[in-house]
Amino acid sequence: MTDEVVTLQRFFAEVRAGRLTGIRCRECGELAIPPKELCATCGKHAWDTVPLKGDGTVASYTVIRVAPRGHTGETPYAVAVVQLSEGVSLLGRVVEVPLDSLRAGLPVRFRPVVVGEQTMVGFGPA
Amino acid sequence: MRRVAVIGVGVTKFGKHDRSSAELFAEAARDAIVDAEIDPRAIQALYFGNVTGGESERQLHMGPLAATLLGLPTIPTTRIENACATSHAAFRHAVMEIGAGVSDVVLVGGAERILHVPTDHATEFFAYCSDAAYEQPTGLTFPGVFALIARAHMDKYGTTEEQMAHVAVKNHRHGVHNPKAQFRKEISLETVMKSAYVADPLKLFDCCPFTDGGAAVILASEKVARNHRRAVWVLGTHAATDTMFMAEKRDLARVAATERAAAGAYMQAGRGPGDVDVVELHDCFTIAEIVATEGLGFFEPGTGGMAAEKGWTSIGGKIPINPSGGLKSKGHPIGATGAAQIAEIVTQLRGEAGPRQVEGARTGLTHTLGGNTATVLVSLFGRD
Repeated sequence: MTDEVVTLQRFFAEVRAGRLTGIRCRECGELAIPPKELCATCGKHAWDTVPLKGDGTVASYTVIRVAPRGHTGETPYAVAVVQLSEGVSLLGRVVEVPLDSLRAGLPVRFRPVVVGEQTMVGFGPA
Repeated sequence: MRRVAVIGVGVTKFGKHDRSSAELFAEAARDAIVDAEIDPRAIQALYFGNVTGGESERQLHMGPLAATLLGLPTIPTTRIENACATSHAAFRHAVMEIGAGVSDVVLVGGAERILHVPTDHATEFFAYCSDAAYEQPTGLTFPGVFALIARAHMDKYGTTEEQMAHVAVKNHRHGVHNPKAQFRKEISLETVMKSAYVADPLKLFDCCPFTDGGAAVILASEKVARNHRRAVWVLGTHAATDTMFMAEKRDLARVAATERAAAGAYMQAGRGPGDVDVVELHDCFTIAEIVATEGLGFFEPGTGGMAAEKGWTSIGGKIPINPSGGLKSKGHPIGATGAAQIAEIVTQLRGEAGPRQVEGARTGLTHTLGGNTATVLVSLFGRD
């Protein structure tokens, strides 16, 4: 798995297929969300592609009630920062979780969310 | 680096305008030229800030346009975009141009026009200041970004929605005395608390408005500024960046870029938070003011909410914050905000702020935050 490049396009193609992909620095062990050319911790370019399990807990969240164009028909919807079990965090749309049950620390699991041609990271019940 | 001074400031009325961003900037710039009492032909360069012109006005290349409408069509211009910190970033580059000895008189500022587009379009254009791959597709908005910060601050420190509401009440109280402010009306705690949620836990009255407006300042080298008795010196200016991704912030309850920008600006100025008499900081949302008062070193992390509740940030309090009314009451034309904050601090340090004057202010600070907390600039100003 050495020296593959996880572009945004590839990351989201993997998301559509139900998989989350991280990158780990061979020099210092830093785990990061792609794409990154250099490791922000040690400055090296030495990435291994690593699968992420997709389980984590809510670090913070919000319920959006005034939406941008393109999302106005979806309100209210929740967006959360989720800390994955491997340590890195991802932002995603919350799905299939009652909005009034959201709280920091809530266990959640990655779900791909595809709306038309748009793919995003989602998190649903663990 | 050579010393740099602000010798003139100009700000349009903030609110709804039927004029383009470039026109609004030109009006503010003319006022700044009059205020500086200089021949406009002495201006050697323009650093111009605007954010959404491409989307909302179908207008790029706005630097030369602004110079043309001002009547200085041949000066070199540079347009800068750093989300809501745009014209503070432009200011830093203008300071460096004079500091480096390239120019002696530089015009800097910015403008924004957004109220002519529907709210959902404006919300979308502002969201372009967050990441397009991971964040925008989720429907994250700017209130949403600060709601994530607010929730983290509440969970970590016990900050309450009522403490946040006190920030809005205080800034509206200050803004009553600012003739340029968009909303010159006091509001009650109950009004804030009963307003509808925009992005939980932030309510409508926790949020600054969409605003049209322009702001300009004229900077000069020591050689030129020496002849200006109302000159205000730039003591330090520092920019800091943090990761674009909300998910990568080390601590959602703090703004790391504010802390680093402040440290750099204080070091340049040889001052600390205890030396500051008056502050204009980036209260795009009430929680943003609370976190900024902590990041700038006025209060310990986690105590900014209590400070707002106790009135320590009001004019007459321990450290007067946003005597102009802040973004909340004065309004937030995002390309103009950084320059407008500087104009207010210069006005305060000159002792010309009228009923909103912070008495005896000698040292002032401006803090401007861009977008998802990825850009922050802090500058310090003083009188001789």
